[in-house]
Amino acid sequence: MKKNSTNSHKKAHKTQKIFLLCLLSLLCLFVIPARAQSPDVVQAFEQVAALIRDDRLAEAEKELTKVLRLQPDLPVALNLMGSLRAKQGRLAEAESLFLRAVQGDKNFTGARMNLVYLYLLKRAPDEAIGQLSEVLALEPENLDAKVLLGDAYLAKNDLQKAEENYLAALDNKLDNAGALFGLAQISRVKGETREVAIYLNRVGTLITSSTSTDFLYKFALEAMQVGLFDEAKSALERAVGLKPREPSYLLALGIAWLRKTDLFEAEKIFRRVLLLEPNNAQAQLHLGYVLLNQKKYAEARTWLEKSARTSAAIPEVFYYLGLVAQEQNDDAGAIVLFEKAVRQLPSYPHARIALGSSYMKLKNYVRARQELETAVKLDPDEPTAHYNLALLYARIKEHERAKEELRIIDQLKAKGASNNGVVVLPPKSNP
Amino acid sequence: MFIRVTNCLWLLTLLFVFPPQKPKPTFEEVSPATSKITWTHDNAQSPDRQLPETVGAGCAFLDYDNDGWMDIYLVNSGPSDFFTPSAPLKNALYRNNHDGTFTDVTDKAGVAGGKFGMGVAAADYDGDGNIDLYVTNYGSNILYRNNGNGTFTDVTDKAGVTAPGWSTCATWFDYDNDAKLDLFVSSFVFYDKSQNPLCTDPTLKQRYYCVPRLFKPQPSRLFHNNGDGTFRDVSRESGIADSPGKSFGAVATDVNNDGLMDLFVANDTMPNFLFLNKGGGKFEEIGLAAGVAYGEAGRPRSGMGVDAADVDGDGWQDLFVANIDQEFFSLYHNDKELIFTDQPGEIAPATQLLSGWGLKFFDYDNDGDPDLFLVNGHPDDMIESRVPRVRHKEPLLLFENTGRGFKDVSASSGPVFTKMFSGRGMALGDFDNDGDADVLTSNNGEPPLLLRNQGGNRNNWIGLQLIATKSNPAAVGARITWAAGTLKRSRLKTGGGSYLSSHDPREILGVGSATKIDYVEIRWPSGKIDKLTNPPLNTYIKVLEGSGIKK
Repeated sequence: MKKNSTNSHKKAHKTQKIFLLCLLSLLCLFVIPARAQSPDVVQAFEQVAALIRDDRLAEAEKELTKVLRLQPDLPVALNLMGSLRAKQGRLAEAESLFLRAVQGDKNFTGARMNLVYLYLLKRAPDEAIGQLSEVLALEPENLDAKVLLGDAYLAKNDLQKAEENYLAALDNKLDNAGALFGLAQISRVKGETREVAIYLNRVGTLITSSTSTDFLYKFALEAMQVGLFDEAKSALERAVGLKPREPSYLLALGIAWLRKTDLFEAEKIFRRVLLLEPNNAQAQLHLGYVLLNQKKYAEARTWLEKSARTSAAIPEVFYYLGLVAQEQNDDAGAIVLFEKAVRQLPSYPHARIALGSSYMKLKNYVRARQELETAVKLDPDEPTAHYNLALLYARIKEHERAKEELRIIDQLKAKGASNNGVVVLPPKSNP
Repeated sequence: MFIRVTNCLWLLTLLFVFPPQKPKPTFEEVSPATSKITWTHDNAQSPDRQLPETVGAGCAFLDYDNDGWMDIYLVNSGPSDFFTPSAPLKNALYRNNHDGTFTDVTDKAGVAGGKFGMGVAAADYDGDGNIDLYVTNYGSNILYRNNGNGTFTDVTDKAGVTAPGWSTCATWFDYDNDAKLDLFVSSFVFYDKSQNPLCTDPTLKQRYYCVPRLFKPQPSRLFHNNGDGTFRDVSRESGIADSPGKSFGAVATDVNNDGLMDLFVANDTMPNFLFLNKGGGKFEEIGLAAGVAYGEAGRPRSGMGVDAADVDGDGWQDLFVANIDQEFFSLYHNDKELIFTDQPGEIAPATQLLSGWGLKFFDYDNDGDPDLFLVNGHPDDMIESRVPRVRHKEPLLLFENTGRGFKDVSASSGPVFTKMFSGRGMALGDFDNDGDADVLTSNNGEPPLLLRNQGGNRNNWIGLQLIATKSNPAAVGARITWAAGTLKRSRLKTGGGSYLSSHDPREILGVGSATKIDYVEIRWPSGKIDKLTNPPLNTYIKVLEGSGIKK
């Protein structure tokens, strides 16, 4: 329960971050309508926009305050101030400023688009749809608006209307990455994995020179969901190239390497995250996990223990720490840790397998059998459970049952069960 | 003046408390120009990438002429159903000239082989005092009986040890304690040139060596020595043939201290075998229950080289197996009751990207405990184009036993450890008779590598040549215990070990800086015990079973 709330909190935080990044990247497009402004004023607002983009918020605010003191309802200034507030995370004020900008200039599509982003972030798709209808009435060929309309309908789970808008944005061409990405998401909701991969593959080819780091990041997360690890990795490498000090991109890149079972590259990336954010619990957990798989147990333990101290410890941390103890021949200590993992997550088959294995090493075959049989019930396709049962049966001289377990492992292998022996178990956390 | 005296006293105190550390031994490459060993292995590599091309070959230290100096035997490829050499290829026997050089005596000795060679096992199978040679091949094997006059005779057919098919490692040991050396021969997969599937990928546009997983396993063989120059194939009745494998390295050891030699056999892409000697000529395969058969998650690995030793001095034999890259090498600690736990420690991360073949536990610095030498090389010569960071040629590794585990000391053990090789076989022997064990490696498609141990003899030692009278001629199964002051050690004389290779039969017992050995006790496989009190230091002695030191 705690884990879920922590995760959802983190997720919301990340989504907010993504939104802000989105908003800022679009500022250049929408904040400064040139009409009705003198060249000097346009230049001044461009400078303010640049200050906001460069995170020089105090200076930008000083300039905007000066302008708004003279012209309190100037839409361009209100829109910029709204963007500034959004970047500060003061979303209610941002909304109010955007609305005032729109009231001052009904045709100010830039401010309306900023409102759309805000409403989508607030999970208020109906409000977003309202604004987008206005934008499209003013600019019927605005492809970004069509894509966002698709996003809004997708947020309402109206897959049909979402699809219609994405297709409209595509206009029979396959060059709109946002629309294709939306279609991929629809296919994912429908469970059409093959289609998801097809759309994302195409998106991957369109974004090779993208400078929108947030889109690259979102794409990578989606691509990883369907196993397109190379595509995800490329997108994240590009995002990291553009923003080398963004921990969330680096963390996702590390996980992409992990999914490709390249522990060495993953290790390097997680260490980079920890240089930027020494207390990043996710990076600590993942680095500990990588080192565990590289059998560098002492250092793995250090990072895993840090991870457990930094954030509310998730069952995986106890499981990994238990594995370290087990490998260091401390099975009594390992049992304590595995028990903790199982208490937190009773349906955690790997923790139960490890628990069974430690009991077996301590020759408590009854408990070992209990845990291993539970693990098999929880995940009948996990070869490690069957292997440990085979080992157990062989040790208690039930040779036929041992052979049967080995036969099951062979069948699982024939079915393509993942069992490469290098990666114990990927962490369940998402980047 | 006062200050000076005080400083001197302080210095003396430091010297007393911290005696200067002896420099650690290094391994120095003996160049072909120095050794006169000019022979090179031809791996017969072809565009068809026939599997036998990549797994050979082995090497041996042996004293074929009984002059007390280790000679060298090297195995080469040769004609087969898939390979016709453009020029004749032969195995090589090099006689030790006692001065660091060797002379090629292959033709005179009559041991050129002439088949697609794999490995070699040297031992006096007929108890006539001369070391014989068993050469394993892809095709059929050869037993060369040593005539005692510098020549050998091929007695394979008469002896009944042809073993057609694809043999790899051979191990001499006495499984029934009848004082005669029996022979275990590892069989690899069922193979002929028509069995070579197309293994390639579109980016390479050429074949690479197929993974052995694609081929059918074969039962290994056990030959009982009849004592009259002939052997009887007891593979089936002993239970060995009940377990077909894809077997490479084998070591004969006693895992349950019952006085009967067991066999640990590495299998490639199949579970390893631990054949427990039940007595009465029967073996039971207990690899699964013992925990030495599989890797994590019940995944069979690519076992290649093996060895056994009591690495922690608890009196029980531990096991080692080297696997292919990403599988980690395993050091199985003997937890007694026929249960082992994989505890590789520092060896695991150091070998994650390596593929290990020849390997041996031995005391390179004569401090009394077994260290570990590993010979590596990836079997696929095109691996670098397919797998990041994995190399075709790989470095040698040396691990020192610290008493709390193994420490990688390769970097400080000589420039040779920075070089890359297609390593395969590895034999152990003191070729310069200076009291520390040297190393010979055989490399696939490359010249062999002779490494002189420089400085292992800075610690004190005694070398034993065991001459059996009631036990098997190689004294495999003898337990040697020695004590020098507070140091007390024990060693079981194992049979085989490493990969395709055969070792100096003498035992060097290290005693560290002790200046006196209190005793050496030999418990022979026959049950006889010889106890040598205050034996001489830093020399080789001959010990005659039942009689002690032989003058």
